[in-house]
Amino acid sequence: MRIESLKLGASFLLLQLAAGVVCADPLLEDSDWLKTMAFAGHQTNYCGVFVYQSGGRVEMSRITHIADRTGEHERLEGLDGLKREVIRNNDKVWLYLGDKKVRIEKRRAQRAFPALLPEQIQTLKENYQISQGEEDRVADYHAHTVIFQPKDGLRYTRKMWAHSESGLLLKAVVLDERGRVIEEYAFSQIEIGGKNIDRKWIVPNETEAARLAGQKNLSPLPKASFENAPSGWQVDSVPAGFKKILEMRRVIADKKLPVVHIVYSDGLSGISVFIEKVSDVTDIPGLSGRGAVHMYNRLVGDNLVTVVGEVPPRVVIQVADSVRYAGE
Amino acid sequence: MKQEISVLMDGEMFEDEAEAFFDKLKRNPETRQDWATYHLIGDALRQPDHIHRDLSATFRERLQAEPTILAPHSRSPQKIKHYALSAVASVMALAIVAWMSMQIGNEPAPQIASVQQSNAIRPASFHANDYLMAHQEFSPSADVQGAATYIHTVAAK
Repeated sequence: MRIESLKLGASFLLLQLAAGVVCADPLLEDSDWLKTMAFAGHQTNYCGVFVYQSGGRVEMSRITHIADRTGEHERLEGLDGLKREVIRNNDKVWLYLGDKKVRIEKRRAQRAFPALLPEQIQTLKENYQISQGEEDRVADYHAHTVIFQPKDGLRYTRKMWAHSESGLLLKAVVLDERGRVIEEYAFSQIEIGGKNIDRKWIVPNETEAARLAGQKNLSPLPKASFENAPSGWQVDSVPAGFKKILEMRRVIADKKLPVVHIVYSDGLSGISVFIEKVSDVTDIPGLSGRGAVHMYNRLVGDNLVTVVGEVPPRVVIQVADSVRYAGE
Repeated sequence: MKQEISVLMDGEMFEDEAEAFFDKLKRNPETRQDWATYHLIGDALRQPDHIHRDLSATFRERLQAEPTILAPHSRSPQKIKHYALSAVASVMALAIVAWMSMQIGNEPAPQIASVQQSNAIRPASFHANDYLMAHQEFSPSADVQGAATYIHTVAAK
């Protein structure tokens, strides 16, 4: 009898503890939305038209995503202007501009699942205040909203609309520190989990992928080039909250010499630093940008430093200006 | 001299140094002008809404003649937050803030537009695609947005 009540008491305590864990950290649930969105983004089959807006420009694109036994297949087609298209087949990416396939890129080897690791969520919480906003409708689907408010002026605010059932991201807005929209993308129409999605564009298998790559004399990158390796280059002014996630020498498109590529992440935004030897440079573009992505170039001796990231312009400049060679 | 001005404005100058500096300031009209310019930059950075209204034509000319100085010495991550308000950030930062408001806001800033064309946020060129694609692979946002993030790479001109 006593043992029974003890058991009951213990299980009650456990229940309370469990409940306590869930309630103690209100952020848990909010950041879980991001995990859910990332999971849904990789695992859901969908096809839809989305509208991208930035700086007074509006573009329509169709996006198709299929996850099957052979992995993930994605296709992005621009619907207006010059024909342009991106096809991703697991870790390989084809880019079509105009009517010809111009490039094949090897993407990072398939990521471990779930895509967001606990330490990334931790980094995210250190840099952003995560909260849930109002419930809404996007493309006729019910959606939950999650807001990522940065704790400083070194990154942008993001608001995301996730499909309430699947968690799929239906709309995303990037805002600057004064609350103005820098870019927005939203599905205007989407079919989630449909069986009638066109699959003809999918590159059938690895052999075919290799043949296509061979046609362009573009051999897949050796895996070794993605390994972490110190380059001897030092970035002194990495904004607070950004952690180095990778440093490597890699081949980029049709550049002859390997390029040093260092990647930093704050959990939501990334900053890439590219360093390459250049012999004659006629045009250093300086600052350029597309939506929330900014790019800045600078010469350090006979090396061209290029910094790219989804961060405010002054951050890419600050990072580029702090790059120096510290020796092997 | 410019270094001294910004050190003083940041409140990091020793008293005796400051005295000597004020002496120089009194005697040298050019330095006085620099002093005013730096304060204007500081004000502009704090109120980017109004900068284009405050800029005089002479200042614009001076700005054009100014070399790009963007504090080359290293800063600790904690100090970065003060970057935007520090006068050391200088002309370059001013141009950027201006360009940001140009780029993002609806209000025109025609006077700024004529200054330092080279520092404008230009639409990324075709060659930039290589870097955008390479960056794309590792960008955390790609995890959530998937192929939609490629929009930066394939955006119509």
